[in-house]
Amino acid sequence: MSDTESTPIVRELTPAELEAIQLERPDFEVQLQSLSQWQLAWRRFKRHRLAMVGAVLFLGMCAVAIVGPILLPYNFYVIPTPDKVVYAGRPPSLAHPFGETGGLQRDVLTLVVNGARLSLLIGVGASMVGATLGAIVGGVAGYFGGWVDNILMRIVDIMLSLPLLFVILVVSKFLGSGSWYLIMLIFAIFSWPGISRLVRSLFLSLRGEDYVDAAHAAGVGDARIIFRHILPNAMSPIIVAATLSVVSVIISEAFVSFLGFGVDVTQPTWGNVLSNSLNFISLGNWWWPLFPGLAIVVTVLGISFMGDGLRDALDPRAKE
Amino acid sequence: MLKYAVRRILQAIPVLIGISIVIYSILLIAPGGPEARFAQNPRITAEQIAAFRHRWGLDQPIPVQYCRWLGVCGDKPFLVNALPGGTIELAGVKIDLPGGDNGILHGDLGFSTTDGRPVAAIIADRLPATLILAGTAWVIWVILALISGVYAAVKRYSFFDSALTIFNYIGLAFPTFWLGIMLITIFAGGLHWFPAGGMWTTRTVPPFGTPDYWAFFGAQPLTALSDLGMHMILPVITLVAVSIAYDSRFVRSSMLDSLNQDYIRTARAKGVPERGVVFRHALRNALLPVITNLGLEIPFLFTGAFVTESIFGWPGMGAQFIQSTANFDYPVLMGLLSVTAVVTVFANLAADLTYAIVDPRVKFD
Repeated sequence: MSDTESTPIVRELTPAELEAIQLERPDFEVQLQSLSQWQLAWRRFKRHRLAMVGAVLFLGMCAVAIVGPILLPYNFYVIPTPDKVVYAGRPPSLAHPFGETGGLQRDVLTLVVNGARLSLLIGVGASMVGATLGAIVGGVAGYFGGWVDNILMRIVDIMLSLPLLFVILVVSKFLGSGSWYLIMLIFAIFSWPGISRLVRSLFLSLRGEDYVDAAHAAGVGDARIIFRHILPNAMSPIIVAATLSVVSVIISEAFVSFLGFGVDVTQPTWGNVLSNSLNFISLGNWWWPLFPGLAIVVTVLGISFMGDGLRDALDPRAKE
Repeated sequence: MLKYAVRRILQAIPVLIGISIVIYSILLIAPGGPEARFAQNPRITAEQIAAFRHRWGLDQPIPVQYCRWLGVCGDKPFLVNALPGGTIELAGVKIDLPGGDNGILHGDLGFSTTDGRPVAAIIADRLPATLILAGTAWVIWVILALISGVYAAVKRYSFFDSALTIFNYIGLAFPTFWLGIMLITIFAGGLHWFPAGGMWTTRTVPPFGTPDYWAFFGAQPLTALSDLGMHMILPVITLVAVSIAYDSRFVRSSMLDSLNQDYIRTARAKGVPERGVVFRHALRNALLPVITNLGLEIPFLFTGAFVTESIFGWPGMGAQFIQSTANFDYPVLMGLLSVTAVVTVFANLAADLTYAIVDPRVKFD
């Protein structure tokens, strides 16, 4: 990747900024300002072309999810009254750029845009909750070690050996009752073990650092050492892992909804749109499943590219 | 090495028990139950539902039910989610039910609460279809992944290499089930080249696995095979397209590692022809991690085709799982999940042991 050796860790001040500082401190001479860790990471991220493409794709999809349903001429909750009844639906046209579904002849674009809201919300939400849980469990296990570590890691072992998709199907069938936040919680509960193992290994190596000993010596409490002293230093890998787990949550949520075990069918998600298309699959109306699926692929590609870029940007030592 | 294998199996036991407790609790704490399908039937009284629950032992506390399912409560345990006595009387005729009611530790998986069949028989019915589909796909994608991965590594930075990288990126982003739907919509719905789902053509071919099917297979093997083949093409393409991405990337990086070793330079310097360098020196060493990876994919033969099966209506383990979930059929669900968990544990062990056999450098402590 980019040559990290030549990355400047300082930036030049603009003349205006220099003047402002010199007014305050007349003896200020150096025209440079050192950059924080996050500013450096952002600089490396910006240089990673694929990552920028990914970020644009993902943020674009988020923008569509937020403002799209407002801008579209069709309301998701209103059943359309088409000018001509075609059972199999109609292929893309000017009025319906993504075509019309079979049966009720709904506008596919409206379904896809409205579906983005819940699909992205569940993906991002479940990953964030999962990463937080994972960070807490992994942090506690790695910091305290001993029997705490042993018990927590055996639980993680069990969680990781469960046939995940099976269990999610069963749990969403029996507990889900179709509400999106329960589905999100279910995915969160099953995405923390992987991250907690990662956090534990980071904590195991970080707790031996001198600054942790120093904090101990100064009488800092355990909770504060975990969350204020060690966690910020373990943040980069956690962010990367959480980003990449959004991908798997989005894909599995779509599949679970597609099987009819996920979010209630009256709510728009990409999985539900695909699920409904299955009843008309033998009529050859390719536009119906095509566009929600493309939305998933574009989002997933965007997030994967972004995750790769973040990995390179946040950890300058890691090279290809 | 035997010591190592035994230790690994012993270590797996608590994990397996933990898994079964978690799954059992999830299933039984959840609202609903096998009797849920009677709830809307006005002819079935509350007493009959209570009798049904009692018959299956569902009125017992969950720990007792779990203990019965394991088969560790006493020498003749209560009936493990099984029909009482293993014998039923219908119109004066006594019918012995096959299978046992001794619990999973005695090798009995119990009976389905939906149709009373032994769980082991249900799994035995469903397994061949899954193995045929997943096994065929597995062989195809392993061969393709090996060829494409090795070729891309040898011709690094070539057009083929970058094309494969892009293909893999996209392949990993593809939801399997969406690819399946698109294939059905285009090739079955639009073009009518292939059947949209199922495993056999109804009316011309008897259901797979029945004695009729094997009689038909014996009489007209070509028709039977081509019918099976036509039904397999789309699901196999779906499985291969998605799985090849990961494996060919793995083969490529393993091969690149191997090509960068000193002994490759030595072989080239000695004047070994390029073909010999690639196949004799590099590939043989590159295959070591690949073999492990293939071992880890064995559980997939049982479960991974699950997604594809459910889209193509393939009558395998996945279809059974979804059906049983809809019916709250606890014994069948527990049976399917236990078989999968055991296969996973043993596949991991097999992968580790194979690695030690093919690579003499690996030592177990």
